[in-house]
Amino acid sequence: MKYNLEVINLTKNYQDFHLKQINIKLPKGKIIGLIGENGSGKTTTIKSILNLMTYDKGNIKIFGKDNKDLTKQEREQIGVVLDDSFFSTILNVNDINKLMNNFYHNWDEKFYYKTVKKFKIPCNKPLKEFSSGMKMKIKVLCAIAHKPKLLILDEPTNGLDPIFRYEIIELFNNFVSNKENSILMTTHITSDLEHLADEIIFIDNGHIILDVLKEKIDNEYGIVELLENKLTNIKKEDYLKCLKYKNESYILVNPKKEFQNKYPKLEIRKPTLEELMLLLVKGE
Amino acid sequence: MNTIKGLLLKDLYVFRNFKGNIIFSILMFIFLITIGSIRSDIFTIGSILFLIFFGMNSISSFSYDENADSDKYLLSLPITKKDVVLSKYLFVFLNSFISILGGIVASFIITILVRGKVNNLGDSLRICFLAFTSVSFLMCANVPCIYKWGVEKGRMQSVIIPALFIFLLGMFGSLLLLLFPQIYLNVDLLYLFKISPYICLMLNILFYVISYLISYKIFLNKSI
Repeated sequence: MKYNLEVINLTKNYQDFHLKQINIKLPKGKIIGLIGENGSGKTTTIKSILNLMTYDKGNIKIFGKDNKDLTKQEREQIGVVLDDSFFSTILNVNDINKLMNNFYHNWDEKFYYKTVKKFKIPCNKPLKEFSSGMKMKIKVLCAIAHKPKLLILDEPTNGLDPIFRYEIIELFNNFVSNKENSILMTTHITSDLEHLADEIIFIDNGHIILDVLKEKIDNEYGIVELLENKLTNIKKEDYLKCLKYKNESYILVNPKKEFQNKYPKLEIRKPTLEELMLLLVKGE
Repeated sequence: MNTIKGLLLKDLYVFRNFKGNIIFSILMFIFLITIGSIRSDIFTIGSILFLIFFGMNSISSFSYDENADSDKYLLSLPITKKDVVLSKYLFVFLNSFISILGGIVASFIITILVRGKVNNLGDSLRICFLAFTSVSFLMCANVPCIYKWGVEKGRMQSVIIPALFIFLLGMFGSLLLLLFPQIYLNVDLLYLFKISPYICLMLNILFYVISYLISYKIFLNKSI
């Protein structure tokens, strides 16, 4: 089994929204970042993968098995962070430990409390007294403390300060370092994926508009900044998208080497994921 | 079994949130039953008051789950929809059962201490059992409504549906008596009362099983 997760032609139709032909193949030891605007279909995809909702067409396989046929033991191999759902906020860290101990055979209490201490999370305070960052820390901890093989994370860095986001990214990188574990994560803080994801899938309005290795983005995509009046010097077919902002134009090019050969005087730089997302959605 | 234990624990922790209120209410009830017992034997009323006041508190656990959208998270863990629904019914039942049991024990001790004895203990226990069955009926009507419409939206339906059921049952009974008046003459009410614990036991099982199956079906088809 090469992939920990396979989503094949996932389709879901709502009255006013359609998720169309979503394909994801998450190999062992890799991290895929699922990016897109709010309401683009990221959470619907995650919910379908977790079997929280039915879908109209397609197949979802986890550890090579249909996601509806997973046994409890197999589901114990999955760790989940959901942005908008967790235990009741009247529970505290100790309560959550007791509950998780009942839900998971592999629950590592020692690791849990060690990390609670490391993250400076108070043990006896109810979650309702936590900051949103603190709540997210405990959610992430609950997703990894039972030693899963696959992490499915919906906006796991939401509300976190930059220092903890760095710590979390380190944690996730360590998680996949054994070449067996994998992570699928959605985020709209695309900067988190810059040093984390191996592959980027960009969903817009229910369908994938970009599925590319991060390495390829770095090597092949480029951004050129121009004054707006200089844009006329560049042929439309030589760039993918163009976005005008104030007096400047930003153009997305691919492959950048070819573009550089044609326009040797223009300076091309590596696009950030945010710029890529913005240009692909808002660019003309 | 560990999963169910975990889910029951989760609901039990909800009660801890208002343990002060619970302890205060228990003390208040004990005080009131003690005062009431000086004038007359209120063993039955005391027990039923406990049941009504504490036995229906389990609904609040649904409310806390709904606020945190916990079901979505729970179902992403190795927990099935069946586990979630089953644990809720166990919690509702245990809560009602412990409430009536606590009420009976407290009222019994107080009545013995104040009045020296409980009059017609057997009959009083039968009435308690009938009250327990009524609460079971209400709770078993409530839970599927909560699964269907949620705690807030289902509030109205939780009242209307059991009321409508009782109304229709009453209408059916009246119609039956109107059409076959001899039935009334042949029914030995005292005998019925005597065997009421057995009837209640069967009704309780029936209510819980039917209600569980309805809730499970609703929850199974629900997109979380």
